[in-house]
Amino acid sequence: MSGWLAGKRARIEGEGAAVTTAIEAAGAVLVADGEGDCDIWVHIAPHSEIKRAHEIGHSEWRASLDAGLDRRFLGAQKFAAECRARGQGGAVLFVGAPEQALGADHAAAAGALGNLTKTLGVEWARDGIRVNSILTRTSEETLGHLAAYLVSDYAAYVTGAVMGIDLDD
Amino acid sequence: MPIPAHHIVATPPPFDAPPYPADIFADQTVLVTGGGSGMGLAMAKAFAQGGADVAVLGRNLDRARGGAEQIAALGTRAHAISCDVRNPDAVAAAFDEAEEVLGPIGLLANNAGANFPILAEDISRNAWNAVTRIAIDGTFLCSSEFARRRIARGEGGAIVNNSAQYIWTGFPGDAHSAAAKTAQATMTKRLAADWAPYGIRVNAIAAGFFPHADSVSGRREDGVEPLQAMIPAGRTGSIWEFGWLSAMTCTPFFGEMTGQVIVQDGGESLRRSLIMPNFIPPRERADGPWGWQ
Repeated sequence: MSGWLAGKRARIEGEGAAVTTAIEAAGAVLVADGEGDCDIWVHIAPHSEIKRAHEIGHSEWRASLDAGLDRRFLGAQKFAAECRARGQGGAVLFVGAPEQALGADHAAAAGALGNLTKTLGVEWARDGIRVNSILTRTSEETLGHLAAYLVSDYAAYVTGAVMGIDLDD
Repeated sequence: MPIPAHHIVATPPPFDAPPYPADIFADQTVLVTGGGSGMGLAMAKAFAQGGADVAVLGRNLDRARGGAEQIAALGTRAHAISCDVRNPDAVAAAFDEAEEVLGPIGLLANNAGANFPILAEDISRNAWNAVTRIAIDGTFLCSSEFARRRIARGEGGAIVNNSAQYIWTGFPGDAHSAAAKTAQATMTKRLAADWAPYGIRVNAIAAGFFPHADSVSGRREDGVEPLQAMIPAGRTGSIWEFGWLSAMTCTPFFGEMTGQVIVQDGGESLRRSLIMPNFIPPRERADGPWGWQ
């Protein structure tokens, strides 16, 4: 996989060792926010705390939706604008937990994200910008490899796709 | 309609630059059903690029042999076998022959299928049985034969199924394949659950348009160019990128992946507008049930 992302620049937002390690191992140069153009934008959402719906306060609810949905949309919007300004395609990847893995806050955010993925994948297809999601409970090597593959040119015909990794995903 | 020049079309690396090393499947044998041509041959070549020996199953032995020759040209061993995957005894015999010639089968690609434009009311009992049973019974029979052998050996393995982009939306004008391809995807998840304790992984690719010489789209008189413009990605798929993703799911790179159905269709199956062209029933379409010839 050493050549999958050779010559690519990637910005990764959020914590995820497997994804970050694999994208670097695949040959991409990591770029911090504000440090210049990139070809790949990956957003990894933190897992919100699991609570029953009636025990989730509105501020917690808002925080989950902000991290799991709003921040992702706004980040993708900014990345896509940068791609268009440069006249280059790009790849967006959202990483998070499956819809029913956590609480109602996450169920709402992840469902919204799934259909957002399908929507943006089509809306930006002719900008050469692909948009995909991995919704999984796992955080191991396969997650990193799958993430690196999806943002590489090997997945040039994969867009608007939402997938998991394990049986429970 | 050509793709406007200011649109950007994402393209894959060329065929001779596969995403995995040439020995990723070294000392392994893959059995590919319908491997003599089209998408099955693309899967077979992708496994061969990773060093796997390939058993090519086909109803037509000549076609299977033709595919095997192309696979062998990539530097691995290939063996063609005539088999009707609807017949459990024939499937068992084919596995016997493949294992005798090439060694234990540790990888399986279920690709065998048939597909053609036809109105639902015109599908004969024979045509219905042929299309549904090749894909549904064939995938089940080959997968269960594979799994029994792997379990008996105490070894895991990987299966990849060739499903289709239209499995969640229906496909008017193709009722037999619409039913068959969805069955493949839903059984993928259940087989994965049943065989996870044995280390056997099962995944599927829900493939979009990958025209080839033997596909309906590949036989169009005016070629595939008019199809490019209708797809959000701006092109039909290159058949080798389908082969690669199929084979990738069977590599150790994706070693924890199982029960997944990955859509690879350039956005083709997704809604692209709230306002759609006027609906014309398949029966009344000037160019046939699929709306084009």
